Amino acid sequence: MAEDELTETSQSPDPDGEVNRRAFLSSVTVAIGAIISAGLGIPAVAYIVGPALQRTQEEDWIPLGSTSKVELGTPTLFKAKVERQTGWITDEDEITVYLLTEDGRDYLAMSNICTHLGCRVRWIEDQGQFFCPCHNAIFSKDGQVVEGPPPRPLDRFDVKVEEGTIYILGG
Amino acid sequence: MAAQFGTWLDERLGWRRVWEALFLRKIPKVNWLYTLGSATLFVAINQIVTGILLTIYYVPTPDQAHATVQYISTQVTAGWLIRGLHHYGASAMVILAVLHMLRVIYHGAYKYPREVTWFSGVALLLVVLGFGFTGYLLPWDQKAFWATTVGTRIAEVAPVVGEWVLLLMRGGQELTGVTLARFYGVHVWVLPAALVMILSFHIYLVFRIGISSAPGKED
Repeated sequence: MAEDELTETSQSPDPDGEVNRRAFLSSVTVAIGAIISAGLGIPAVAYIVGPALQRTQEEDWIPLGSTSKVELGTPTLFKAKVERQTGWITDEDEITVYLLTEDGRDYLAMSNICTHLGCRVRWIEDQGQFFCPCHNAIFSKDGQVVEGPPPRPLDRFDVKVEEGTIYILGG
Repeated sequence: MAAQFGTWLDERLGWRRVWEALFLRKIPKVNWLYTLGSATLFVAINQIVTGILLTIYYVPTPDQAHATVQYISTQVTAGWLIRGLHHYGASAMVILAVLHMLRVIYHGAYKYPREVTWFSGVALLLVVLGFGFTGYLLPWDQKAFWATTVGTRIAEVAPVVGEWVLLLMRGGQELTGVTLARFYGVHVWVLPAALVMILSFHIYLVFRIGISSAPGKED
């Protein structure tokens, strides 16, 4: 059956008009198909990529606690609750920050997230250093890389003090 | 270059013969009503593509289903479009399938040797209605909830097996998260699998037997 049709179709381009009509219709079909595919394909890509590209959160001043709780010369761990909108879910998240002050006036706020691969660093009092247990990274008191794989110092937050309360800018 | 590659592939796959059998086959003199089946197929493909996209954000649990649908409609880029295409496509699917069926009836195209094509078409219509019924619950809003409450109660009226069917559909006495989850499972796994299999068979038969010509005065 297919054999007969094969010869039929390959013989059919006899008068010129017939060939042109066939070629025209098939290119119109391809063009319409391409338009429809693009019409659905482009929004589909935007749909998949959209939320991935959304800026996570507006930054805002987050109160951490009283200045009196920060020990002089020692990084002190503070925790704050922030409300985060992730997709369709509103969640309470905890952010943890090390606060350091040498003089009780200027404050340094450092994230406790290792800049290598995101593990949590902790302050080792005896050695006066931050230590990350995942790949043995060591950061100095003010967050500089001392040893190990981290590509940059611990991330810092902007800090402000108002009426004895410390705020950091984050989200 | 492209032609060479085409020949190279053809030697290995024999795709040209397949292409000719599918798209360059001879057809009798027909009219626009004969495009209704292809139109239904087109909408089916639309439903598959947009349906897969919707599952990227949709979550079939009672506490999140509605929120995720709202999220898709209002937050996600082009989400309104994808959901809209799936929503209106569902209605178009039923309408086109029924029109396609009516054309086959009026032309008597279900007769020998196309009876099996017809039977598989009937099965496909049932699958499409199943899609509509299960999909209607998934937005998990008031309309969805009460429509399915009523829909499952209608099934209950069936003699002897009715009550059993209701329990099976709801997954219990009440319409709950259990119902939502099983409707979702049926909507995205059971019915699509059935659709792909029966539809492939249906289209295979169309290509194998060819389509009937429109009946003339003597028929």
